[in-house]
Amino acid sequence: MKIVVCIKQVPATGADKRYTDDLRLDREGVEAIINPLDEYAIEQALRLVDDGTVESVTYLSMGPEQASEALRRALAMGGDEAVLVTDPALAGADEWATAKVLAAALDKLAPDVALMGMASDDARGSLVPGAVAAMRDLPLLSYGAELVLADGSARVRRLSATGYDWISAPLPVVATVTDQVGEPRYASLKGIMAAKRKPLETWSLDDLGLTGDELRGAALTRVTDARPPEEKSPTERLENLPAAEAATKIADWLAARKLI
Amino acid sequence: MSNDILFFAEFSAGKPARSALELAAGAAELASQSGGAAVALAYGPGAADGAAGLGAHGAARAVVLGDEDRPAITYAPAAVAAARDGGLAVLAPATPNGRDLAAALVGTLHLPAFGPVRSARMRDGTLETEQATLQGSVITTSTPAEGAPTPSVVLVLANTFTPVEGGSGSAEVSQASGAEKSAFTKATVAESHEADARVVNLEEASIIVAGGRGVGGEEGFAPLRDLAAALGGAVGASRAAADAGWIPYQLQIGQTGKVVKPSLYIGAGISGAIQHRVGMQTAEHVVAINRDPDAPIGEFADLFVVGDLFQIIPALTEEIRRRKEA
Repeated sequence: MKIVVCIKQVPATGADKRYTDDLRLDREGVEAIINPLDEYAIEQALRLVDDGTVESVTYLSMGPEQASEALRRALAMGGDEAVLVTDPALAGADEWATAKVLAAALDKLAPDVALMGMASDDARGSLVPGAVAAMRDLPLLSYGAELVLADGSARVRRLSATGYDWISAPLPVVATVTDQVGEPRYASLKGIMAAKRKPLETWSLDDLGLTGDELRGAALTRVTDARPPEEKSPTERLENLPAAEAATKIADWLAARKLI
Repeated sequence: MSNDILFFAEFSAGKPARSALELAAGAAELASQSGGAAVALAYGPGAADGAAGLGAHGAARAVVLGDEDRPAITYAPAAVAAARDGGLAVLAPATPNGRDLAAALVGTLHLPAFGPVRSARMRDGTLETEQATLQGSVITTSTPAEGAPTPSVVLVLANTFTPVEGGSGSAEVSQASGAEKSAFTKATVAESHEADARVVNLEEASIIVAGGRGVGGEEGFAPLRDLAAALGGAVGASRAAADAGWIPYQLQIGQTGKVVKPSLYIGAGISGAIQHRVGMQTAEHVVAINRDPDAPIGEFADLFVVGDLFQIIPALTEEIRRRKEA
């Protein structure tokens, strides 16, 4: 059984982020990390290796050349090999174009499970996995708190409005997992050393048989403006008050806003 | 191509979700700007009987994708068939089910995707959306690229639109035309389990009292439940509290839990880490109660009360009950 984990390199949480003059995310000099939610997908894949269900784990990422750092980091956690799809024509790719590229790469890699995190830290649309499934005509098992592979099918435990369900589909599938799969492991020193010798290939659009024209400038959407959020009104503070007095003041505050 | 605005309307247990009513209002608003009609794509238990009722909330027509209790993604082929018929935009709720269906449309029909958005409008015949990205540090405005296919797929945050109440119209109902063959229909519910505790759908709550690590344990949520009851609201939690097992994961608010936009959010013993913040930062009013005067939540709350939640919350509950009785 083979899993491909798709990962995205994103600006570090809390890093100073800005848009360039042409309204793209400025990645120059910004600390970059593996999208934190993708680490849970990596952890889920490696647990399936640990218990003998899965033989091989490949990481796949689309991004600028520096995204190979994220792939090396993933390889340091475990797994066998990595592929980076990078091409100047992919700058500013939107969700549709990203899905199209990942779908083409996954066609070549042909895993039993294409596994992804539930969302990316920076954009949070969560549309890429389902779009990839549509493009490859595969079942989608999303938002798994756990992924189980057995008897030619995959199952995820997914929260429902009032509890949880086990959703099942025959392999191959596209699946996403949440942060409930368990804390991602740290890369050991040995893992970091081993990762340096693991294969990391770089593919261009040519290698995938895609052209820049087909990708329509890598985006069906256009950002027309990027700006800082509106200034919020200053916080009112209540400090060092006896509980009863604090309660009265909070109730007054709520009443003034017609909330009680 | 028509100027219609489509929207997903999820039903469960015979009733439309609140998101269906919000999106009906949003679709009606956009349709009035585009010169088209608001069209519901209704699915789930109760959709067949309830679809006409969406007319009272703004829908002119409703296409019933299916009426069964099965994974939402299995309705994707019927949604694709409906979206192929035209329209300028499809609004989907920014929930797991809504995102799955939206993604299926984007991947199958090669459509532009937007969101999750906090506002959307038609300007000179073109869709324009606004969204917070990079953990809320940047606000972007987006439109479809020149010559992009339609409809645009728009994920909409809860409470972006306000449901129209008290209407009396009836939507013209039709059944989805022949759905295309798709692997999406292969997903089935193998088992279904109820949560240990009764949980409410936080996305539908207009007042939320949330507890975090500072609540200290399962029993620490009791005063929060009392306050929520007095306010007519629901109880939520940070990831720390859910991870500790004090409260079911269905009540977790944040990046990996529910994204909520209540009119009032009260956070007790919650520090306000970025992962929690992205789940509640669009609440209209934020009150925080925390022992730590330097807790990050103090920087973005509207009212920050420094003190012991175990003293302040019961006192507040009592005060609110007293005022409501008066």
